[in-house]
Amino acid sequence: MVFDMEFALKSLPKIIAGIPMSLLISVFAILAGLVIGFLVTLCRMYKVPVLNRLAIIYVSFIRGTPLLVQIYVIYYALPMVADWAGMKLGLPISSADLPPLAFALTAFTIYSGAYLSETIRAALSAVDPGQMEAGYSVGLTTWQTFRRIVIPQAFVVALPSIGNNFLGLIKGTSLAFTVMVIEVMSNAKIAAADGYRYMESYVDAAIVYWLLCIVFERLFAWLEKRSGRYRSKSA
Amino acid sequence: MGITFNPEYIVKVFPKLLEALPLTLLIVILSLAFGLLLALLLTAAKLGSSRILRILATWYISFIRGTPPLVQLFLVFYGLPQVLKGIGIDINSWDKVVFAIITFSLNGAAFLSEIMRSAYQAVDRGQQEAAFSVGMTPFQAFRRVMLPQAFAIALPNLGNSAISLLKETSLAFTIGVVDVMGRAQVISIRSNGVNQLELFIAVALLYWALCFIIEKAVALLERAFKKGHKGVAG
Repeated sequence: MVFDMEFALKSLPKIIAGIPMSLLISVFAILAGLVIGFLVTLCRMYKVPVLNRLAIIYVSFIRGTPLLVQIYVIYYALPMVADWAGMKLGLPISSADLPPLAFALTAFTIYSGAYLSETIRAALSAVDPGQMEAGYSVGLTTWQTFRRIVIPQAFVVALPSIGNNFLGLIKGTSLAFTVMVIEVMSNAKIAAADGYRYMESYVDAAIVYWLLCIVFERLFAWLEKRSGRYRSKSA
Repeated sequence: MGITFNPEYIVKVFPKLLEALPLTLLIVILSLAFGLLLALLLTAAKLGSSRILRILATWYISFIRGTPPLVQLFLVFYGLPQVLKGIGIDINSWDKVVFAIITFSLNGAAFLSEIMRSAYQAVDRGQQEAAFSVGMTPFQAFRRVMLPQAFAIALPNLGNSAISLLKETSLAFTIGVVDVMGRAQVISIRSNGVNQLELFIAVALLYWALCFIIEKAVALLERAFKKGHKGVAG
């Protein structure tokens, strides 16, 4: 038959069961990526000697190579790093202890960090420099000005891009099965192989991802409206 | 597991990867070409007067943008033969590359149509009116006046799309296409678990170099098409 609706409906719960893991990876990667992105942007803004160059190469490399290739590189590099850290620094970790999730989290964090650093850079440069001066003039330190005045404003500017990044991450987690993480895509593959109905499983997976993206698109749109409330309506 | 790292292997394996480069480039170029054509139709649908075409186009774009490229690839690879078998067409003998090109064309079309749409809407409407006022037909006005300007505006984003497309083709090996990534998989299996990291670093460097080339090419095109144009960013 052309489309086995019964199989599609039967596999749907199994595929939906992968959503928490996909979301876990995405949320972790976006939060950790924001931290990394912010540090990278700071290095670029203040032109820290060695780190500035490294930051530029880091961003260019991540944006110029496919996510899948990055996942593979992390998959082979991380055990080596763990072993090296265990031997040279005497830490009690070895490559055998690494759970599959560690590879996925590392790869996706590094991936989103690079893109987010560009987002943060654009957002920070959109904030009027006068805001920093105003902060200094009332006696705030650099960090205090950042935290209380600049970052809240930059956050509103960055929000749409962060939302896009998050959606990209959700879709990106479909590659996590290559490092043996069980999420939506792996469940779809398992269901497909089980019943020899490939198209129906992937239609299910497509709908699941589509709904996830629509839900988070709406969520971010709501967030954007809420955080933008401080902006007075221009005449 | 030992910590062995042989940088020389990266150089050694590079030529073997380059052998598969023509296929990767073929997929990218054909997907871009067909994607652009389909995007034109999509943009026409979204800007046109038919309400149902507009709704269909919007849903199509939303679906493509809301689902991972890998899922789309599997849908086309597994789904298309099944659907066509239902109406009596057997495409089991098609080369796998065809499925990859179909997927990336369909995928690219959605993103490209959004880029085209915003670029077209960014061209001053007065240009079109001026063209009409000197007696051009709507098609002539589009081809001689609107299109060149819209193209210049769209160029940076088109370049980004080309780069995204290139990176997306790395997924084609999952359906058995032996492009650069597919070749790397073959080498990986044959090498019995040795030098894996060096292999995929080489792959990454190759893609990085290709993206760099595309960026430079787009910059050259931008300069050629924007001759005499005075904008905010120059």
